[in-house]
Amino acid sequence: MATKAYTLPTDIPTETVTNIRSLLRIVSLALISAAAISSRLFAVVNFESIIHEFDPWFNYRATRLLAAKGFYAFWNWFDPTAWYPLGRVVGGTIYPGLMATSGVIYNVLHALNLPVDIRNICVLLAPGFSALTAWSTYMFTKELKDESAGLLAAAFIGIVPGYISRSVAGSYDNEAIAIFLLMFTFFCWIKALKLGSAFFGTLAALFYFYMVAAWGGYAFITNMIPLHALTLILMGRFSSRLYVAYSSWYAIGTLASMQVPFVGFQPVRTSEHMAALGVFGLLQIIAFSELVRSHVSSKQFQTLLYASVIGMGVLGFSGIVGLTYKGWIAPWTGRFYSLWDTGYAKKYIPIIASVSEHQPTAWPSFFMDLHILIFLFPAGVVMCFSKLRDEHIFVILYSVVASYFAGVMVRLMLTLTPVVCVSAAVALSSLLDTYIDPTEPVLEEGESAESEATPQDPTKKVKKTTPPSNSGSFGEYLARFTGNTDKPRGIFGVSNRLIVLFNTFGMLVFFVIHCTWVTSNAYSSPSVVLASTGADGNAHIIDDFREAYYWLRQNTPEDTVVMSWWDYGYQIAGMANRTTLVDNNTWNNTHIATVGKAMSSPEEVAYPILRKHDVDYVLIIFGGLIGYSGDDINKFLWMVRIAQGVWPDEIQEPNYFTKTGEYRVDDRASETMKNSLMYKMSYYRFNELFGGQQAVDRVRGQQMPKEGPVLDYIEEAFTSENWIVRIYQVRKEDLLGRDLKVANAFEQGRKRKKTKPPVRRRALA
Amino acid sequence: MLLLPLLTLLALPFCQALISKDQAREELTKLAAANNGVVNVDEHTFELLTLPDREWSSTIVFTAMDPRRKCGPCKGFQPAYDSVAKAWTKVAQEHRNQHFFGYANFEDAMTVFQKVGIQSAPLVYLYPATEGPYKAPSGRTTPLVYDFSGGFDAEPLAQYLSRHTPVPIPYKPPVDWMKYATIGATLLIAVTALRVISPLLKSRWVWAIGTVLTILTMTGGFMFVRIREMPYTGNDGQWIAAGYQNQFGQETQVVGLLYGLLSASFLMLTMVAPYQTSPRRQQWQVWLWSAVICIIFSVLVSLFRVKNRGYPFKLLI
Amino acid sequence: MAPKSTAAAKQPTTSTPSALHETSPAAAGNAVQSLLKAYNETTSPRLKLIDAFLVFLMIAGVLQFVYCVLVTNFPFNAFLAGFGSCVGQFVLTASLRSQVNPANRNEFKDVSPERAFADFALGSVVLHFFVYNFLG
Repeated sequence: MATKAYTLPTDIPTETVTNIRSLLRIVSLALISAAAISSRLFAVVNFESIIHEFDPWFNYRATRLLAAKGFYAFWNWFDPTAWYPLGRVVGGTIYPGLMATSGVIYNVLHALNLPVDIRNICVLLAPGFSALTAWSTYMFTKELKDESAGLLAAAFIGIVPGYISRSVAGSYDNEAIAIFLLMFTFFCWIKALKLGSAFFGTLAALFYFYMVAAWGGYAFITNMIPLHALTLILMGRFSSRLYVAYSSWYAIGTLASMQVPFVGFQPVRTSEHMAALGVFGLLQIIAFSELVRSHVSSKQFQTLLYASVIGMGVLGFSGIVGLTYKGWIAPWTGRFYSLWDTGYAKKYIPIIASVSEHQPTAWPSFFMDLHILIFLFPAGVVMCFSKLRDEHIFVILYSVVASYFAGVMVRLMLTLTPVVCVSAAVALSSLLDTYIDPTEPVLEEGESAESEATPQDPTKKVKKTTPPSNSGSFGEYLARFTGNTDKPRGIFGVSNRLIVLFNTFGMLVFFVIHCTWVTSNAYSSPSVVLASTGADGNAHIIDDFREAYYWLRQNTPEDTVVMSWWDYGYQIAGMANRTTLVDNNTWNNTHIATVGKAMSSPEEVAYPILRKHDVDYVLIIFGGLIGYSGDDINKFLWMVRIAQGVWPDEIQEPNYFTKTGEYRVDDRASETMKNSLMYKMSYYRFNELFGGQQAVDRVRGQQMPKEGPVLDYIEEAFTSENWIVRIYQVRKEDLLGRDLKVANAFEQGRKRKKTKPPVRRRALA
Repeated sequence: MLLLPLLTLLALPFCQALISKDQAREELTKLAAANNGVVNVDEHTFELLTLPDREWSSTIVFTAMDPRRKCGPCKGFQPAYDSVAKAWTKVAQEHRNQHFFGYANFEDAMTVFQKVGIQSAPLVYLYPATEGPYKAPSGRTTPLVYDFSGGFDAEPLAQYLSRHTPVPIPYKPPVDWMKYATIGATLLIAVTALRVISPLLKSRWVWAIGTVLTILTMTGGFMFVRIREMPYTGNDGQWIAAGYQNQFGQETQVVGLLYGLLSASFLMLTMVAPYQTSPRRQQWQVWLWSAVICIIFSVLVSLFRVKNRGYPFKLLI
Repeated sequence: MAPKSTAAAKQPTTSTPSALHETSPAAAGNAVQSLLKAYNETTSPRLKLIDAFLVFLMIAGVLQFVYCVLVTNFPFNAFLAGFGSCVGQFVLTASLRSQVNPANRNEFKDVSPERAFADFALGSVVLHFFVYNFLG
């Protein structure tokens, strides 16, 4: 008989065990939720409850409007203060899911007489939904393996840095709720596929609709599910369950997704959605052929049926291709096309290429964001191959596709994180199952033992005995590998178990410590407020951004127009509440190129542009004093490139480099560079800080020329404490009708002449 | 008395400048036609190409082909430039002498280099027409500089220049016979070998190996290396690139190998060790794979510490 | 386009004769007749009712599509809503049919016919909610 490595109490009834297991599961999930929420609160504890980054400021502004004025005002909102003088139709150009969610929570809490401020709801929405994400990952992994793998997956996704980076408290962006919706939609899809139930298909469609309303990345689901269905068909695993699940999801989901104004008719008009339509048609054809086949036995009829089915499939496909060529169906948009043709964006759409989140990923990012999960991930995928049910095929496809996309764009690491957590949980859970199970294998010589399915231990799996696929010892080996064998399986002795369990426990502890360290150091910065450690170890808060935005808010008239690079548009609108020319929505490339041209041209050329757009203030970011490397001089080449795209005759990038091709800001800088508005604004009066010695730009590490730039058409209005934000006021036309440069020179001359002593004339006698 | 010869002496340099536009254009056309559309630039031809009241535009490549100058990109770019110039010779006669292609080699045109102030090579300058119907709309006379943003290929150069030439340059990239031949051959081989490879395609473990290799390659940062065109190793043989968001080609392989070893150890522990029939063999295997996990993970962590200097944790190494 | 293929495919009396025309008409006629006979005999009245509804939905969908192509596609959202309701209802009914069919019992272990009908009802309600919203 099979012996046990360690003794378990045998007098506990099965019911008690089941109840205790359920209780432990619920308690574990509650603790995981608590861990997920609390590990995202570092920023709130260190700084304050503030909205982070750039994009969330716009979402916050929209939510404020929704909470204050109601849903219809939000839905029909036209914002004249953005993209002056064009304005922006906000209602039709955003994904309203995030704001609607916050609005609903706000209204519910207020109905319960809990007066929570809208800002706190927005800041804490992401941590709250991360708990829901952990739960939905648990449900998803439960379908793959069992509850213990589910709990591991929930724990992993609760604290893994790859997901935390976009869902800390204060990161009020679409991804905050999108990952929860992604995992839950996938769970509903897998459940629909397993059961063949139209209820789960409808539920998947409803949550897909919510996802479409929440995030532009819904196209991932739109292509992932058809890919899965197509793979199942190609593998010969077509079944009625697949038909029911996919058809109910597609029919209801597509119609629902068209309700979002921003999506509109895209699901029937663009290439990104054609795969789903194609698979839908293919499924109908195959289902029909299966139906007819069951009624008819004639061989000839069957072969003809297959031929006509394939013919119709090819016809449908060529129909779609033909419509694409004719232009009825739009080709892949730039954002998605650049994921395949990686050189495309840099050449044709520099705005997409310039965003820092769109850069490719180097391997340290993978390790930093996923730690031990990154090497448990392939092991989990191999285990999926060994079981290979329908849902495992989904995880395999998801893992390959997500690895590619995460490698191409840093931002898409977020879509890789859930599948890594799930696979790693499956792998680790299998390992723990093997080594915790106390049953030892029977030491028979040359005789195969029975499968060790003991009724007392519910964590055991019954080993099915199936003949190995290949013959010979290699097949035997492979069969053992897949678990499809009746050879004895188990671990001898306590020491083996202890080694592996101790190892695993140590790795998990290291994982938790790593995640906590990464979250607190790297991903909890609001980026609106910076922190640095002084020489004496004290934390020094750098609050220049807010200082400058609030100066704007309090010292300028309400209808002031502020020009800055598009990165800061949302923040200016949110914190300073002033009109901006361009912001992070980047929907109008020519307008952004106009701003770029103004920044990179000499003052005489930029001034008419500024006056034409009624610009009152110009705002730039300059990090040269304290070493803040995300400033506008570092972004300057992108401004030049984007402007060059629209005015290639007037702006050429090589003119801003030295003769030897270097990008310099000191004496050796090219003339075009020194005369550009951005250069002058950044280094105006910079010399005065260094008290006679030569100024040093700490970011570029270069010494500035002795003579600083002179500004004629604009004058300095405000510079923040650490010189990070500099605001300049645009001078109105001269009262005497002179050119402003001449007027300024005249002023300078007059100032100089005052210092000379008056000439004494002797009166002629 | 001496005034007349003095005047004529003084007038000599102006005589050269008073070369009429038509003469200059004729001479340039002849030179271009004789040399596949490319005019060799020296002091005299440079003056012709950049005549102050010219009605034609010219593109001049400043390059250094001498092996002593060690200019790799110059040599790489020259065939592309020549093919674009050749494509221009196919244009109709009335447009052909509106634009000229010049070739300035450092050895033969040192004074020209000095005059224009060229300090690096290769550089392509486009001198727009200053008068006449093809004058630049903005009225500029200073040359436009071509930035090699599309690389050193002929197609981006042709596209860029076509924006400033009277008619677009009819450049057609040569048909890549090799590509079509390889595709055709591969398809043929695949179709004929279908019967042989089809059991391979049906086996799940072939797909498993392919999937795992793809995942290891991608998570090792392969796309970064390909998109940024990073070299295999650094300049002085070091294979670890400095900086957190930076890596060389060799790092992909090393990191992929480490991840693969770790995954394999876990798989061994879960799927092979439990099937051992002899307790001693099993114990030996468990110890071995656990030790491999510990050691390789420590190596991985220390490698990560090299890339991310602020990382405070370390294991065994 | 998928709708065309669905519409053409699901009518056994129209597509299959045209496909079989290339071979022997006699054998084709025989095969179709035997198909119809087999269908009549093996299908329960319940399933035949569902099939009649499916045919009706298909005709309605084809008519709408023909109108859209021949006359006008304005307003496009109304066309999509109407056509979507036909396609969606068709698909839900076809799912119901396969779930209720006794021959598929071992595939749908967790879905009893009553549960199937409840799912069908819920799905139809949700579908028509969106259709109504999209009609404008």
